[in-house]
Amino acid sequence: MDKKLRKNKKVDKNAERVDLLESKLQEMETSWKRALADYKNLEKRTLEEKLLFVEFANKSLMEKLLPVLDNFSMLENHTNDVGIKMSVKELRVVLENSGLRMTEVKPGQEFDPNVMDAVDSGQGEDNKVLEVIRPGYFLKDKLIRPASVKVGRGQKP
Amino acid sequence: MTKIIGIDLGTTNSAMAVMESGQAKIILNSEGGNTTPSVIAPGSNLVGVSAKRQQVVNPRGTVFSVKRLMGMKYDSPEVKRLKKGYPYEIVEGKNGMAVLKIDDKTYTPQEISAKILVKLKADAETYLGTKVTEAVITVPAYFNDAQRTATKEAGQIAGLEVKRIINEPTAASLAYGLDKKKNETIAVYDLGGGTFDVSILEIGEGVFEVKSTNGDTHLGGDDFDRKIIDWLLSEFKVEQGVDLSSDRQAMQRLKDAAEKAKIELSSAMETEISIPFVSADASGPKHLSMKLTRSKYEQLVDELVQRTIKPMENALKDAGLSKSDLDEVVMVGGMTRMPKINQVVKDFFGKEPHKGINPDEVVAVGAAIQGGVLGGDVKDVLLLDVTPLTLGIETLGGVSTPLIKRNTTIPTKAAQVFSTAADSQTSVEINILQGEREMATDNKSLGRFILDGIPPSPRGMPQIEVSFDIDANGILHVAAKDKATNKEQKITVQGGSGLNKDEIENMVKDAQSHAEDDKKKRGVVEARNTADNLCYTAEKSLNDAGDKVPQDIRADIEDKVKHLKDLVQTGTQEDLQTKTKELSDSLLKIGEHLYKSSGGPQTGPANPDKKNDNKDGDSREDTVEGEVVKD
Repeated sequence: MDKKLRKNKKVDKNAERVDLLESKLQEMETSWKRALADYKNLEKRTLEEKLLFVEFANKSLMEKLLPVLDNFSMLENHTNDVGIKMSVKELRVVLENSGLRMTEVKPGQEFDPNVMDAVDSGQGEDNKVLEVIRPGYFLKDKLIRPASVKVGRGQKP
Repeated sequence: MTKIIGIDLGTTNSAMAVMESGQAKIILNSEGGNTTPSVIAPGSNLVGVSAKRQQVVNPRGTVFSVKRLMGMKYDSPEVKRLKKGYPYEIVEGKNGMAVLKIDDKTYTPQEISAKILVKLKADAETYLGTKVTEAVITVPAYFNDAQRTATKEAGQIAGLEVKRIINEPTAASLAYGLDKKKNETIAVYDLGGGTFDVSILEIGEGVFEVKSTNGDTHLGGDDFDRKIIDWLLSEFKVEQGVDLSSDRQAMQRLKDAAEKAKIELSSAMETEISIPFVSADASGPKHLSMKLTRSKYEQLVDELVQRTIKPMENALKDAGLSKSDLDEVVMVGGMTRMPKINQVVKDFFGKEPHKGINPDEVVAVGAAIQGGVLGGDVKDVLLLDVTPLTLGIETLGGVSTPLIKRNTTIPTKAAQVFSTAADSQTSVEINILQGEREMATDNKSLGRFILDGIPPSPRGMPQIEVSFDIDANGILHVAAKDKATNKEQKITVQGGSGLNKDEIENMVKDAQSHAEDDKKKRGVVEARNTADNLCYTAEKSLNDAGDKVPQDIRADIEDKVKHLKDLVQTGTQEDLQTKTKELSDSLLKIGEHLYKSSGGPQTGPANPDKKNDNKDGDSREDTVEGEVVKD
């Protein structure tokens, strides 16, 4: 009887130990799986970011070039010189070939804060673009600068 | 398991971050920005930059700085003051609370804040690719219970379970890991887009206690821009006699230029502000072109900088402390990038402020860390070590060839195949090296062992695979195995090296300062090895080809080999390279000749790059010459 009890105790202890080890094993399995998943996800994210990076590597350079392009446009309008017109056109073609595209904003169009920045308002048809003060640009399909516009606030002129 | 994101719900801008593999990472919004303007147009449901863009058209329907209204009574002096300054309507709501009235609809500040949180939540979900349901949100240290409750409610309205509300200065301190300090006093200087806060915190046993706060609710980056614009306007008026202030278009360009100048002057000592065709009068177009030096800029904004000193003094006084009691200073907010501000804060507290984390993001980063702790992400994260220094072995000519580069996360494994450097060499010595220098003698030797019993064969033929394995405990196991016989030798290097941080830094610095010299030394050794190899190949080719090689070609090659051999020990890198090239050109003639005479593709070992013919030559292409042990 006594022997049996002792044996039972031992079995109990072993079972306890098995339970402990099993839970430990499970814990380990989850944590390494999680680590592997984290890694896989990181790999995917890195790949995505790399693609995005390549696509928009030019973005910061373009953003710096836009004010210069604005100035050239003003120069073009001001001088009306054929040589300057040709040069500015050439610059535009180069930038367009690199994915730069002007937002198509024209007076009379509905104001859209997704692609336009209202910097001024005046008398005119409500919520309509009165004047494009500075053009906006997309690089590929991403807006890198909204068009600065003057927007009508209702009162008739 | 979903992640708990950290949100810095700011007065002018908001930001968010999340823990990823134990590191806080800023989440970009759908426009690709790291911060989102805290601007909302409830009528058209616009939030962020698009809401900001329509502010001019819709001033009464665009809400900004809603944070100032959170949990405020309508009849409080603060709300009375705001009511005068703000274009949108503030009215009395339930329980005497301040609410907003936009297009005949009333919104509580919570509802408006929730709209910002909804956008942040949606952008985070897109970015992370999973649902986001839990967040930690930060509030200013001076927020009372009502304001904190309101912030929590805003989270709930947005569908977020707010796991905790924490103080902004606490979050910033967390971002710098200051929670691990014991019994320290921290000053947090926060100069953001529109508000200035200074807080004194005490940290004890991982818990932060706010001792005092002070500040100026209407001081921020925009005021600094304004000072530059005003200066440009007055200078231009003096120079050209034209007042640009009523020209909206010119003002827009001035504003852009001022912001750009402000940013540039944080790193440059002077900047050129040029705005061509800024205006025109009867005499023609006018251009604005001005130089702004950093010192001039500092004069212009001195009044603003000085305004931050009094609150620092008051905060210290309220906390009952003196400057010398402070242990740490933390900087928050984009304006703290300005060197002058850094200097003023440093001079005031007599301590170098913590820098390094983007000051626009530091609060969100801290909130994410808190979120990570609550989610068990931080506690359970296995902190993986990196190897502090490069590990490699010594190869022919005393060169150190790296196997595992420094800063590689461990556990990690690397293996490379090496070979012998002499004919019939039967053993190789593996000298394990640690350090960044190019030559073996300049690095630390962690141990060496010999693999012998390599069957005698021509040099370059045996394939000895050397593998380095650093386990999770940082213990390095090095093994060398002869692939032909499978004979293997192993060694275990305990605990890396026992080098402390300073020693490691010294070794890295040492390598940087010797980089130029070391490169030269290594260059000579490599040129020597290549020359020696080519002599060997040339002699072997001549032997193999026998009398198929015409006498004149043979004599020419033999002569060149002799010359090169004389040079090997003493020649300069350039000499060795020239002579090696000459010999290699001559060697081509063997192949050319054999090809011509056989009339088919050449089979002889004419290519000097391939050391010798071997039946599994392909797999040996990355074989590197091993260290020679002459026995």
